[in-house]
Amino acid sequence: MFLIKLFACLVVILTSSGLGFSYSRLYDKRLNNIIIFQYCIQILETEVVYAANPLPDALNEVYNKGNKKVSYVFSEICKYLLNNKKSDVYDGFLHIVSELKESLCFNKQDIEIILSFGRSLGISNRIDQEKYFKVIQMQLKGQQKEAEEEKAKSGKMYKSLGVLIGFGIVLALY
Amino acid sequence: MEANNNFSKLAQTDKVKSYHEVLGFIDPELTTFLFKLPSNIVEKIEEIRLRNGKPLMISLGSKDYFVLKNGSLATKPNNCININSKHIAKTFQLISNHSIYSVEEELKNGFVTVKGGHRIGVTGKAIYGTSGFETIREISSLNLRIAKEIIGVSNNIMKYIIKKPNTIYNTLLVSPPQCGKTTLLRDIIRNISNGLADFDFYGLKVGVVDERSELGGTFRGCPQNDIGARTDIIDSCHKHEGIMILLRSMSPNVIATDEIGDEKDIKAIHEAIKAGVKIISTVHGDGINDILSKPRLKHVISERVFERIILIDNTRGVGTIQDIVDGVNLKSIKG
Repeated sequence: MFLIKLFACLVVILTSSGLGFSYSRLYDKRLNNIIIFQYCIQILETEVVYAANPLPDALNEVYNKGNKKVSYVFSEICKYLLNNKKSDVYDGFLHIVSELKESLCFNKQDIEIILSFGRSLGISNRIDQEKYFKVIQMQLKGQQKEAEEEKAKSGKMYKSLGVLIGFGIVLALY
Repeated sequence: MEANNNFSKLAQTDKVKSYHEVLGFIDPELTTFLFKLPSNIVEKIEEIRLRNGKPLMISLGSKDYFVLKNGSLATKPNNCININSKHIAKTFQLISNHSIYSVEEELKNGFVTVKGGHRIGVTGKAIYGTSGFETIREISSLNLRIAKEIIGVSNNIMKYIIKKPNTIYNTLLVSPPQCGKTTLLRDIIRNISNGLADFDFYGLKVGVVDERSELGGTFRGCPQNDIGARTDIIDSCHKHEGIMILLRSMSPNVIATDEIGDEKDIKAIHEAIKAGVKIISTVHGDGINDILSKPRLKHVISERVFERIILIDNTRGVGTIQDIVDGVNLKSIKG
């Protein structure tokens, strides 16, 4: 009986801790993905501003040269543009919003910055495009800083909370 | 002379294919009507014109027509399809592949070449910067010219251009606008480059200066038209500069270029001839007398630079070879 109770306590603590750690990992994931996304934007900038590569090809190059964990979204935008003649670049970015939110763990502000960039991509000459790239890089740097602070604060908090709640439940039950 | 028959017989299916290729660059809302046009009309379409606030039009032969909603053509603008700014914006988005920055250099010349070698003229508001004309904004008109490559159209006249043992005569094609001289020049280049077994003509290195991207229809560094296996092409370059670059870098046997007339072009041609390179080119004109009335070209003719002068018009259809003249004695040699 005692062993069963002990096992049950361990399960509760481990489950609760696991949930806490897993929730905290979302903050890690968001931060890492923001950093990788910035590298992808740098690749895209090279393709657009320096090579003047048309957008579908430029997006594909980002997918090929970037970290596939994140760069696959650029390939998704490219495929969307090629298969939907009636749509424009912004529609392509809208198409990946669910991926940005659920797979890359970006928050509302991150997504809004990316969509805003999508509205201006490809619609002007290289000098103008370079300015838009500078803006998004600056904004993403800001989001990275905010993500680091969130990870330090909330990430630690959820890890601790998970463990404490587990112990709390065990104490309450027994 | 059979050149005009060749123009009409050759590759009907290729013309329809070219038309469908161009439709891929037009707003899908408009192509629903353009797809309805019958194939006997489609084969002859040369241009599709989109003008903001005006009816959709096409050009065939030397006439233009309004496109009606039921897929027929009319000479009066009743019940036709009107173009609006969304059509223009969407079409330009497709032409530029969602990337205006990638065509900004071409826009400075007022046109964009797309896959298939089709050339799309663009007009709107000209924007000037510190270095002069920079770009076009607020696009108001698009002229989609359907590229028409006709292989073999020059086969019957190569015997007048080839000079034994294995070279060519300096040749000038003279024609009024829209009579097929560029199509003919392109095929001549192909034949010179590939060689002709029937004439024991091995083939020569040809350098092409394609200032308006009409000869090669180069798209992303690849000529979309067949201009021969031994041809090097410099695209979107001023003729006089292109000739000098080719002389320095490509050791051509022949240099080909379209529409000479400028003093600098003629000077560059002289440099090429001094270097032992043969020249084949075209000029706007309506016969020898018309050319002789133009001071710069009169000079070139009187110097006997061009050993063969081919006169083209459209009296018996586009590409009619009116005469072939010996450039030395200005006598007809057409047999």
